[in-house]
Amino acid sequence: MPKADLIAGVFLMLGGLLLLFVIIPAQTEQDTGAAVPPDLLPQICAVGITILAAVLTLNALRGKTPDIKPPKASEWRALVAVVVIILAAVALFEHVHPAAAGFFVTLATMLYMEERRWYLLLALPGSLVAIVYLLFYEFLGTAIL
Amino acid sequence: MMDELIAGFGAALTFYNVSFIFMGVAIGYLVGALPGLGKGTATAVAIPITFYIEPLAAIAFLIGISKGSTAGSAVSAILMNTPGEPSSAPTAMAGYPLARAGKAQKALKMGLYASVIGDFVSTCVLILSAQSLADYALGIGPIELVAILAFSLTFIAALSGKSLVKGLIAGLFGILCSTVGTEIETSTERFTFGSFDLYEGLPLIPVAIGMLALSEMMVQIGDRRRLEAETDLLRGSGKPEDAYVTWEDWKKSARAIIRGTGVGIFIGILPGLGASTGSFLSYGMARRAAKDPDSFERDGAIEGVAATESADNAVVPASFVPLFALGIPGSVIAAILIGAFVIQGVTPGPLMFLEQAELMQGIYASMLAASLILLGIGYFGQNVFARIIKLSPSLVLSSVVFLCCLGSYLQGGGMFGLYVMAVFAVIGFFARKYDFGFVTFLIGFVIGDGFELALRQSIGLLKGTPEAMLDHPVAIVFWVLTIVGVLAILRRKKVSTESAN
Repeated sequence: MPKADLIAGVFLMLGGLLLLFVIIPAQTEQDTGAAVPPDLLPQICAVGITILAAVLTLNALRGKTPDIKPPKASEWRALVAVVVIILAAVALFEHVHPAAAGFFVTLATMLYMEERRWYLLLALPGSLVAIVYLLFYEFLGTAIL
Repeated sequence: MMDELIAGFGAALTFYNVSFIFMGVAIGYLVGALPGLGKGTATAVAIPITFYIEPLAAIAFLIGISKGSTAGSAVSAILMNTPGEPSSAPTAMAGYPLARAGKAQKALKMGLYASVIGDFVSTCVLILSAQSLADYALGIGPIELVAILAFSLTFIAALSGKSLVKGLIAGLFGILCSTVGTEIETSTERFTFGSFDLYEGLPLIPVAIGMLALSEMMVQIGDRRRLEAETDLLRGSGKPEDAYVTWEDWKKSARAIIRGTGVGIFIGILPGLGASTGSFLSYGMARRAAKDPDSFERDGAIEGVAATESADNAVVPASFVPLFALGIPGSVIAAILIGAFVIQGVTPGPLMFLEQAELMQGIYASMLAASLILLGIGYFGQNVFARIIKLSPSLVLSSVVFLCCLGSYLQGGGMFGLYVMAVFAVIGFFARKYDFGFVTFLIGFVIGDGFELALRQSIGLLKGTPEAMLDHPVAIVFWVLTIVGVLAILRRKKVSTESAN
């Protein structure tokens, strides 16, 4: 039985039901007096997603979908690492300096990818920040902040 | 038509504009040559830069990137057996054995010539056909538009991934995401969760960068051992002996190039089929036409490289036909370009030919100029690019992550753009790993607003009388095509699954 499709199908089906009965009623207005209510398209999409997710689940239960390899442990780690690096960069941007955030994003990604040559660890992030400064502040003549 | 095009050349061939075309093609060629980085990533990351330059130069720059990266992906395919993009996989099959036999330069040059021919001819077809189609499209009303959009999205969902069901889920999710923000007709909020940032909806560029570029970087960083191994392989590759394309090579490859260009143009015009379908189809046809088809993978085949690259590059300009004529993005590049057009105050679609005639002719002229610049950059720069792709993946991928953050920050309203990018990168990661067609999601997201508007107008026009549909034969034809197309695709997939079992 293709487990990945089964899990995805059940997850999406529950998500579709949550959309239909909780999120759409709470996050859209129904009684606007308009000929076409604002929740029509979201409702159509949510119903479509729920039905298609049910079909996907049934197909997976009947073994009619090809088995998909789940992400490898290294890919899970990369997913978490990149998100953490971006969130840390956001914190640096707000509390230290935008240049520090840009430097950190590049440096941390290089370190995560096991780059250990110190001159590259300094040169690449420094060059990128310098190029962005020159491009936006000097060449294009506009500030990005 | 010719006079307008000549005027377009006048607007396009300024030093300022040509500089940006040159930069676009060069950056695109380099990025395309780097394994794992495709034209979608390159174009999405470059969009924020275009905010600050003139409209024609901006669009020409992005088109240069997409053309350059499509052609550049042959470099790593031939030298490293690692296609820069999936559509160059057949190039690797026929070209890598040639490189191992010391004919890397010959294969690279033939790949370049075939790319330029395919791209140039396809651009001419775009110029000749888009406006005629657009004139017809101006007569299309909302009822027809709903049917055409439903047809396009279903076609894209069915053909861009392995599963129609998953493709449709991704497309519907894309449309759902496009409904976030203030609803136009009633000015009421939808899915804003009390956040002011969401009042104007989700910004396209951070969504595109997250779904396309950053999610790809997550996968590549997670698979870095394989990337490093492939880069090491290149360091040990042999020296080229046979450096020129001979008359014999041209005779062998001429038919393959003509056939490949035709296939690429046909596939490009149909929404959703994509460059991979074109290149594999053309490669298969060249292989079948050969006396010894097995020699393609065993010894390499110059006509195999020519067939693949001509088709691959012909797809890109042809995929702009539905974008320019109907406003429907037929490929991921076309979907990203919509973002660039909107930034420049231009709405893609048939009205562009009336309201922005000068810009359109300038774009055409820039596209033709980009083809010629591609020839020059590819010819003189191949050796340089071949050296650059030997760089460690840690340097390349970390730079791309930096550019993703910069682009999302600039185009997504500051920090909000970074958060949107991160969320959609996670969604994109799972969409890639579980084959949910992120291309269909993105196209659904892009056409969502137009689809909703056309749907509202259609409901108003039909006034609850379904029989009024009979007055709209074009819409009926597209609805029938949608149903017949889905049934045919499901049947074909069922047959192929049974034969695989």
